[in-house]
Amino acid sequence: MWAGNGPNIMRQDAGRGKKKEGNAAKYITRTKAVHYLQVSLSTFRKLCILKGIFPREPKKKVEGNHKTYYHMKDILFLAHEPLLEKFRDIRAHKKKVKKALARKNRDLADRLLNREPTYKLDRLILERYPTFVDALRDLDDCLTMVHLFAALPAVEGERIQVERIHNCRRLSHEWQAYISRTHSLRKTFISVKGIYYQAEVEGQKITWLTPHALQQVLTDDVDFNVMLTFSEFYVALLGFVNFKLYHSINVKYPPILDPRLEALAAECRNLFRNFKIFLSREVPRESLLFVIPAFGGVVSWEGDGSPFKESDEDITHQIVDRPTQGHVFLSREYVQPQWVVPPPHLSPFVDNEAEGYIPEYAETIKRLQSAAKKQVLPMPGVESQGLDDPQTLLVEGIIDRTEANEAAEKKRKLTMLEKQYHDELNMELQGITYSTSLSNKNLQSSVENVKEDTMTTLEESEDLSKVSMSRKKRKLYEAMKIGQERKKDKIKLLKERKKNAEASKTG
Amino acid sequence: MVAAAAAAAAMRKSRRSSKNSDRLEQEIAENPAANEDVEEASGGGEESQPSDAASLSEDEGSQGSPVDSEEENGEVSDDEDHRSGEESDSSEEEVPSRNTIGDVPLEWYKDEEHIGYDVAGKKIKKQARKDRIESFLAGVDDAKNWRKIYDEYNDEEVELTKEEVKIIGRMLKGKTPHAGVDPYAPYVDWFVWDDKGHPLSNAPEPKRRFVPSKWEQKKVVQYVRAIRKGLIKFDKPKEEPRVYLLWGDDSSAAENKRHGLSYIPAPKPKLAGHEESYNPSVEYIPTQEEINSYQLMYEEDRPKFIPRRFESLRSVPAYEKALKENFDRCLDLYLCPRTRKKRINIDPESLKPKLPSRKDLRPYPRTCYLEYRGHTGPVKTISIDVSGQWMASGSSDGTVRVWEIETSRCLRVWNVGEAIKHISWNPLPELPVLAISAGHDVLILDTGLGNAEEQARIKELLHVEESKPEEDGSTPVVSWVQDDKYDCIRLKHLKAVTTVEWHRKGDYFTTVVPTILIHQLSKKHTQNPFKKLHGLPVSAVFHPTRSIFFISTKKNIRVYDLLKQKLVKKLETGVREISSIAIHPGGDNVIVGSKDGKMCWFDMDLSSKSYKTLKTHPKDITNVAFHRSYPLFASCSDDCTAYVFHGMVYSDLNQNPLIVPLEILRGHTSSDGRGVLDCKFHPRQPWLFTAGADSIIKLYCH
Repeated sequence: MWAGNGPNIMRQDAGRGKKKEGNAAKYITRTKAVHYLQVSLSTFRKLCILKGIFPREPKKKVEGNHKTYYHMKDILFLAHEPLLEKFRDIRAHKKKVKKALARKNRDLADRLLNREPTYKLDRLILERYPTFVDALRDLDDCLTMVHLFAALPAVEGERIQVERIHNCRRLSHEWQAYISRTHSLRKTFISVKGIYYQAEVEGQKITWLTPHALQQVLTDDVDFNVMLTFSEFYVALLGFVNFKLYHSINVKYPPILDPRLEALAAECRNLFRNFKIFLSREVPRESLLFVIPAFGGVVSWEGDGSPFKESDEDITHQIVDRPTQGHVFLSREYVQPQWVVPPPHLSPFVDNEAEGYIPEYAETIKRLQSAAKKQVLPMPGVESQGLDDPQTLLVEGIIDRTEANEAAEKKRKLTMLEKQYHDELNMELQGITYSTSLSNKNLQSSVENVKEDTMTTLEESEDLSKVSMSRKKRKLYEAMKIGQERKKDKIKLLKERKKNAEASKTG
Repeated sequence: MVAAAAAAAAMRKSRRSSKNSDRLEQEIAENPAANEDVEEASGGGEESQPSDAASLSEDEGSQGSPVDSEEENGEVSDDEDHRSGEESDSSEEEVPSRNTIGDVPLEWYKDEEHIGYDVAGKKIKKQARKDRIESFLAGVDDAKNWRKIYDEYNDEEVELTKEEVKIIGRMLKGKTPHAGVDPYAPYVDWFVWDDKGHPLSNAPEPKRRFVPSKWEQKKVVQYVRAIRKGLIKFDKPKEEPRVYLLWGDDSSAAENKRHGLSYIPAPKPKLAGHEESYNPSVEYIPTQEEINSYQLMYEEDRPKFIPRRFESLRSVPAYEKALKENFDRCLDLYLCPRTRKKRINIDPESLKPKLPSRKDLRPYPRTCYLEYRGHTGPVKTISIDVSGQWMASGSSDGTVRVWEIETSRCLRVWNVGEAIKHISWNPLPELPVLAISAGHDVLILDTGLGNAEEQARIKELLHVEESKPEEDGSTPVVSWVQDDKYDCIRLKHLKAVTTVEWHRKGDYFTTVVPTILIHQLSKKHTQNPFKKLHGLPVSAVFHPTRSIFFISTKKNIRVYDLLKQKLVKKLETGVREISSIAIHPGGDNVIVGSKDGKMCWFDMDLSSKSYKTLKTHPKDITNVAFHRSYPLFASCSDDCTAYVFHGMVYSDLNQNPLIVPLEILRGHTSSDGRGVLDCKFHPRQPWLFTAGADSIIKLYCH
């Protein structure tokens, strides 16, 4: 269909009657696309962001290597977008208002301003995410952005409107309230960049980052137009997502969010069941208010509107982050905020086994956890019979695979030594003289030599098999090897640093 | 204060006409006397009535100062008010000031003892200056000192009355000087309009006053139409709910389906690792040197995030790059081209081809077994006798040696005198003759290794009669000459000969002198069948079983049928420059070595393109060789190594040849940038001979 009405512009440079084919017809550069749509570049950007249209990589770049190519179908998709017409209307309307004001026709200007054309994004959202799960799958960036905007200062100069920021705040609170109420928070990690959360909603893992509750710095190396367009779409999307989520738990949508009510209504079923936790003044309240109820705890804080006071006798834990404590209640435990989060100072998103390096702290924590489960585990260095089989340990999931390998290696060596000892004993028993045993040994050593020889030939064979690979495969192989090497180097560096740190500590 | 004083001065000037001020001034002018009077007055009777004072001042204007008197200000001001009320309207006459110098710069009188002249023309003496302490003390004593200002013109001190100060205050505030004046009093039309006769205009009332306006009506109609059409609406549009249940039921998902191209979801951002914690383990924190070394890196390689350590959560600052990182993500989302790429998550070892174990492919040459030493220059070429007993070698030092293979004994040495290019045994076992190319000549040399009967035949064969000059007078391409020194035939060419190869039957042989010549030994005859060749020929070989001839030019291999005398096939190597060629004993497979270190295997039944290209050597391949009976082939190169491969050719046409790299043979040393110059297999054993530029020949055995 598009081949017929699309490439009108193409005809200009191709000459009449000559129809383009292949990549030249399928892909269009950005400049040509902008001309084709007859919009400004900024409008084109906005459209692309809202419609979720991105450049494609043609197999053959007809117009040049350093250009951005869009698929012609995508551009036609944009050309049929009603929003395009709407943007033109808005532009025309702005001109009208400006003209009226310039002619001091306040009446007309007011009337025009009252009837400003607006647009809604619901249809676009439905188009981009036909099912709810699609929307949830793409929600990571949305949540991160909304949470970031919620923490931004409203600057008129940068066109960040106060309303937008309030919207973002409201939406983020609603989202957190939902997550907290449905107890779907899975992982949390406090990092320098902020706090990472991972929740599981309808089987989708959604991860987002909230900045620390501090004043964010507005830098000037950021184009706020782009950010605002994204945030506009994300605000709309999150609104619909929240509506659907609240609808699914039978709660009226704009929910009444009062932390006091939440605290009272908190269902106790999870990690912090039966915990009554009090937050001191210096700990970041907002994030903990989200995390603790999400895991089923009851929270209060110092300040206005808190459900219960610090002096409450039922408080089991108090979260503090200051060096000295004024009045210490004996009935409660004092905890630092990082201990609220599953493994403190360790990212739950890292697969230690895949990385090939386990920080010592992770092991300590594992040991603590298992100790808490009343499992007696051997301390490192202490070997007890029955437990030294790495396989069983692996089954129990106590040690990781790399560790298991090391252990297996150790065990093999031990058995070899043992065997040697037994052999010698046997020889003694059989009365074999030392000289014969020597000759035997010579034989063995020759065998070993052969083994070494095979080792060198093995290395060579590696070289040789590379020879018979096709170039494509060889390059791939080499690239993979480089990747592996890099990973190994990284681990080596970590281990070295660790060694140095320990050396400096002891020495 | 200065402004106030200026205002006061201005006011004073304006009021100069009034009697009141004049009286004041006069009083002040006669200050010394007046002061005494006042003191007397005040000292004399406090009960002196204000009315008295008023009457007194009215009567004799110059006497009785109200200014310096100690009387209550209120009364004084009342009194003055009253008086000013009386006199303000009536007194218009100019009353001169005490000084009469007029509007001249006062500095003219700066150095004089007088300040000017009074009305009578008498000098007015300057008053004695009060010193600072005095004036200060006077100021401290006198509560009204702040109202006093000095009039330079008249050289006197004036005290403003309370009323005057009030007026100044009002003027400073921008109000009328007098509180009693109402600037917005209703207008009273004093003119009496009744019974005055004519109106101001006598024009009749125009018609338009009585006809409804056409333009107004038009405008109204316009509005009405606009309202009817809905262009103008008065009620605000209804607020639609901003959010609603968008994904009501997913059954309608099919019709919502995204149009256009398939959607490629953006890759998710990388999640935080251990090092991003606010208090990571020690090993994640780089040392200062490492951080400094980041500066030396390229910007792309530089780590984006440098882990830091904070003691407690309380001390973690806001992340300064939060906005920037989010923005970068936005840019990635809408500016980065997206393509679906298959991510291979496999063990790289699995990419290696499954080759049979080398153990199963034995025997093949593996270790150096013998060395043949004797040459003094790089050994350029070797050739093995078909019986497998003798080996001939030619070197740059100009000698040809024949060795006994099993003992490494050098049997014979001939000094040809020129660097040997190529050497080749006659393939017939009963004809132990060597073809040697050296310089422009090719020698057919009797090695003397055969028995007596054979020797006699060879002698006969190698006898050449003096060739008569050609009838047509043109010089022949090659002249067959009897060489007396070694009792052999010398074929003199016009140009340097590079290679000599025998036909399988031992009668014909070919030489490559840029042109390709085929010689017949029995008839001592030379012919040049390939008049026109594309490209510069590098080497030429006969097919091992059929009458087919291979010519390798720098880029291609051309295959000719000698019987039909036409081109059969052209093999495209795709390498930069061919250096050597070898034909499989079966005759259907060819290997080609190139000067860019690549070796190509051609299956002639399969295609004219190479079946497999092996990039083995980093330097030029000098020679390639097939074994006559074992499925082995080898390549040797200037990098001092020789590769041995297993190359199995199956009789089943559907099965491709199996090529397995077996061994890298090392041992030669580099000399003058050259490594191994030639390699040949033993005709019966799986042994490989290599000739090195280090003038050593090595034998590798299994």
